[in-house]
Amino acid sequence: MERKSFLKSLLVGAFSTPVLITACNTEEVSPAEGSTDSDSGTVSNPGTSSSSCTVAPTETEGPFPTKVPASYVRSDITDGRTGYKMTANITIGNTNNNCAGLADAIVDIWHCDAAGNYSEYGGSGMQSTNYQSVHFLRGRQTTDANGLVTFTSIFPGWYSGRATHIHVHIYNASGKSLKVTQIAFPEGDGTAIAAVNGYEKGLSGYTYNSRDNVFSDDTAGVQIAQVTGDTTNGFELSIKLNVAA
Amino acid sequence: MENRVITLCYRKVIDANATKAWDKLVFEDSYREFKMQAQLYNQDNKYRSFAELLQHVPGAEQLHFLVSAAVTGYLQTLNEVVPDIINNLGKHFLRFNKYQFEIINSDLQNKSRHQVAFNFYSEPLVWHETIGNYLLVSENKAASSEMLTDLFQLQPYLSIYSLTTEA
Repeated sequence: MERKSFLKSLLVGAFSTPVLITACNTEEVSPAEGSTDSDSGTVSNPGTSSSSCTVAPTETEGPFPTKVPASYVRSDITDGRTGYKMTANITIGNTNNNCAGLADAIVDIWHCDAAGNYSEYGGSGMQSTNYQSVHFLRGRQTTDANGLVTFTSIFPGWYSGRATHIHVHIYNASGKSLKVTQIAFPEGDGTAIAAVNGYEKGLSGYTYNSRDNVFSDDTAGVQIAQVTGDTTNGFELSIKLNVAA
Repeated sequence: MENRVITLCYRKVIDANATKAWDKLVFEDSYREFKMQAQLYNQDNKYRSFAELLQHVPGAEQLHFLVSAAVTGYLQTLNEVVPDIINNLGKHFLRFNKYQFEIINSDLQNKSRHQVAFNFYSEPLVWHETIGNYLLVSENKAASSEMLTDLFQLQPYLSIYSLTTEA
């Protein structure tokens, strides 16, 4: 979506949805909802329900749960994925404050691995308790006083139909979406794209920014990050993304 | 003699009625994460329920996976022991190393409609006997003369997930 129209839609949404919601939504269960197997109303506390005639737990109490942050909240999002090291410095600016750094914004990023794959649920959806690798190449950080977050990752690979990119979702401190966008990479001689050369795939059939359906309208190149470094020492990506906060 | 080796699935449903501390944390954090992640699929603010997102927005089924990040940390605190399910001595005995998190229902405007579940898939167990309503099982490992067993009852949300017959 184009930035302007998206921002506009956020504004419109913010003011108009409550009315729409009341108009279109009742508390009735819609047909769609019935199709997700649910409404298990009968047993609210499975396992300890008195309707199942089992003995009550008789064990030492515990563990004592404490609040655990989402597993996205981390700076190093590599999770064992191999590739050229990349450090991403993303600064969030506030267009309502002369683009000064926006503190305490929540920044999610995600991108594909060297082969072009994202972390996601596979066919069965079953995950192993080796939780560490489940959400590879996805991370969340909160901006510092200067609006900066830094992630350690690998240089992304690519997949058919898209230029190399990093997804970014920026929220305010209370979790309200401010912007969903993507970061593009510079192309041509001497760039990181050329040096990495698409990892094992090469760059045959690669979609360049000018042909990419997300980046092709960005003629000014505001979505293109500054990327320095090389395959030996790793790459450093820097970009400033401005949002209305 | 043939051994019947089973794995169990326990589907732990967590909703607004949660009373235990662990369940409440999962409820709160998964709802907050749902509200954050759903914005990605709801940029025009057209939808309010998870079911609507699933029906109308391509890719919204990824929300199961995306929201799970907020609660996998709580799974770690279980030390691979399935919660709630106890043997006839009143002790937790079921171990798992596979799970699946799912959003059953949710609603961006009404937290009380948020409902999620963990499906815990147990380690393999040998099913020796059925005694009344109880299943007599033991860990699936090389049998010596004496085997330690657990006796437990099938109950709502606990089911046999897979069955293997070994010679």
